[in-house]
Amino acid sequence: MYDDIFRSLTRQKWLPIALATIVLGATLSTVSPAFLTFSNLESILVQSSVTAIMAIGMAFVIMSGGIDISVGAILFFTSALFAQLMMDTGSYPLAFAAALACSTGLGLLNGILVVRFGISPLITTLATYSIYRGAAIHLTGAQNIPVPREMGFLGNGEIWGIPVPILLLGLIFVIGIYALTQTRLGVYVRAIGNSDRSARESGLPIARVTIAVYAIGGVLAGISALILLARVGGLQSGIGIGIEFTVIAAVILGGTKLTGGTGTVTGSVIGAVFLVLIDNGLNLMNASPYIYDIVRGGVLLVAVAVDRISALRRERQLRLQKTARLRETHGLA
Amino acid sequence: MLNIVLRTLRTNPAVPLVAALVVVFSLLSPFFMTGGNIEAMMGANAVVLIAAVGMTFVFLAGGIDLSISTVISASAVISGLVMAGTDNIAVGIATALAVGAAFGAVNGLLIGMCGLTPFITTMGTQLVARGIAFVMSQGVAVKGTPYALMDFGFAAFLGIPATTIVGLAVVVLASLTLCGTSWGRELMLVGSNRNAARYTGINVRKMEFSVYLVSGLLGGLAGFISIANLGNAIPGVGDTLLLMIIGAVVLGGTSMNGGEGSISRTLIGVGLLAVLINGLNLLGIPFYDQLIVQGVLIFVGTWMAARLSRRRA
Repeated sequence: MYDDIFRSLTRQKWLPIALATIVLGATLSTVSPAFLTFSNLESILVQSSVTAIMAIGMAFVIMSGGIDISVGAILFFTSALFAQLMMDTGSYPLAFAAALACSTGLGLLNGILVVRFGISPLITTLATYSIYRGAAIHLTGAQNIPVPREMGFLGNGEIWGIPVPILLLGLIFVIGIYALTQTRLGVYVRAIGNSDRSARESGLPIARVTIAVYAIGGVLAGISALILLARVGGLQSGIGIGIEFTVIAAVILGGTKLTGGTGTVTGSVIGAVFLVLIDNGLNLMNASPYIYDIVRGGVLLVAVAVDRISALRRERQLRLQKTARLRETHGLA
Repeated sequence: MLNIVLRTLRTNPAVPLVAALVVVFSLLSPFFMTGGNIEAMMGANAVVLIAAVGMTFVFLAGGIDLSISTVISASAVISGLVMAGTDNIAVGIATALAVGAAFGAVNGLLIGMCGLTPFITTMGTQLVARGIAFVMSQGVAVKGTPYALMDFGFAAFLGIPATTIVGLAVVVLASLTLCGTSWGRELMLVGSNRNAARYTGINVRKMEFSVYLVSGLLGGLAGFISIANLGNAIPGVGDTLLLMIIGAVVLGGTSMNGGEGSISRTLIGVGLLAVLINGLNLLGIPFYDQLIVQGVLIFVGTWMAARLSRRRA
């Protein structure tokens, strides 16, 4: 029984990042006694909610064999649209509906362009990144716009004593795991990422699934935008710049392969938390803010290197097993 | 005659776009076709041109180098600091090239020798290079650039800025290397079919290592040229260039999948973006609308280039 649990646990792709997060957390708690308090842990989860929610969407995109560079620009466009609509009309229902519809629409557009024109997702979303970002600044006339104070509820408010961003993250996390493991969409996404060709030959609806995946990435960027806007208190020109790389890093740290086909929602969320923990630790050490990039880059390099080493080891093990089997069947012992 | 035109169109699909833009902008703005404007336009894009040549090599080999943008910053900052101390341009060039080569070698070792994914690996080194640039400079422009280097940045021969001449020299050298040496031909083969390349006896790993090394070196040179252009080494100089660099290469018609493309195409791709941005600036189009136009152009241009090359095949 314990053996079974152990075996199924070690097969989880998110296990390495979970262990790394625990080790990092333990180290931080010895450095600073304030670390292991409930309120600090809660604030770490709140801080990671934006990238974690986006990482869930990105995990789907990457698992399908694609990539979405434009999520930061979708986040920025949604924030701009929401802030502008709130300033012009003051109507929450209108602003929320427009923000969510628009972020889904921008994601859909990404998907349609990728499917219809057959240009690599990297170039397609690099182009839409530029377009969405330009359009957002055009919309607001390059102004910083504050949002009403009640908006702060989404960023700092609590329901049943749980901060709203954590609730939203939890909800999306559960839906994400369900969609990936229990629905046809999840199976198709991984099948397409594994082999585009065999997916086509088995008649899977590749176009629809691909479009859906980018739309998911878009709507989750939109939800993140609302949380971020609420936490920051208004639209600022730098919102979302470079966040796509943080989100991709979280997904890759979590154990999802950039080549597609396999991946985990859990790992992506833990990856986002891990990145916030690193910031937290550097902050505790009073490190220069410029060091952060070096450490993040180093972590990413170590993560891909470790992943590569374990893959090579697995390959060698399989090869040894195969030769052993061959020897047995051919009686060459 | 018609044949020659068609062939040029197929190998350089961006040529008609450049021609059309030049005609449109010279009709719309009386300043566009003046010597001063053309000189400014060329000078502003020398850095992108040199880095784009490096990226072309990487694309041709089937990889990607996201770090080239911030390697420009890191080598500019470190070389700027060294020059502020020594006031020696030769030492500055050597430092910039060494820093670029060091990052290229790290990328090459991890990707070529250890087999890591190019996208994630260079994303990691991109962050590291950016951090180094900002840590070493404390986030502000490095002062103390030698006067001779600033003069070089303003110098021009026959209306062509000296920095652009360096860029064009890089283009010629790179083109000759790609077409005229066995290294270049092997590079194309590795990019178009890795397995075939391995079976013909090419050391694919060494090949990939050398490609990232070259791209790093060119990033270092671009960083040095950025000091001449801007007068100071700026830690954030490369941050916004990545879109321009990748955009120029794919607009020129070099495929990201490897094996398809050339240095001359990249020259035209850089020219296309240079003309576009200069023209939109002259017409008083704000930067955010330029972002939209740039994005649309990169998408449409890449699509057209892909279609043209597919038709040929």
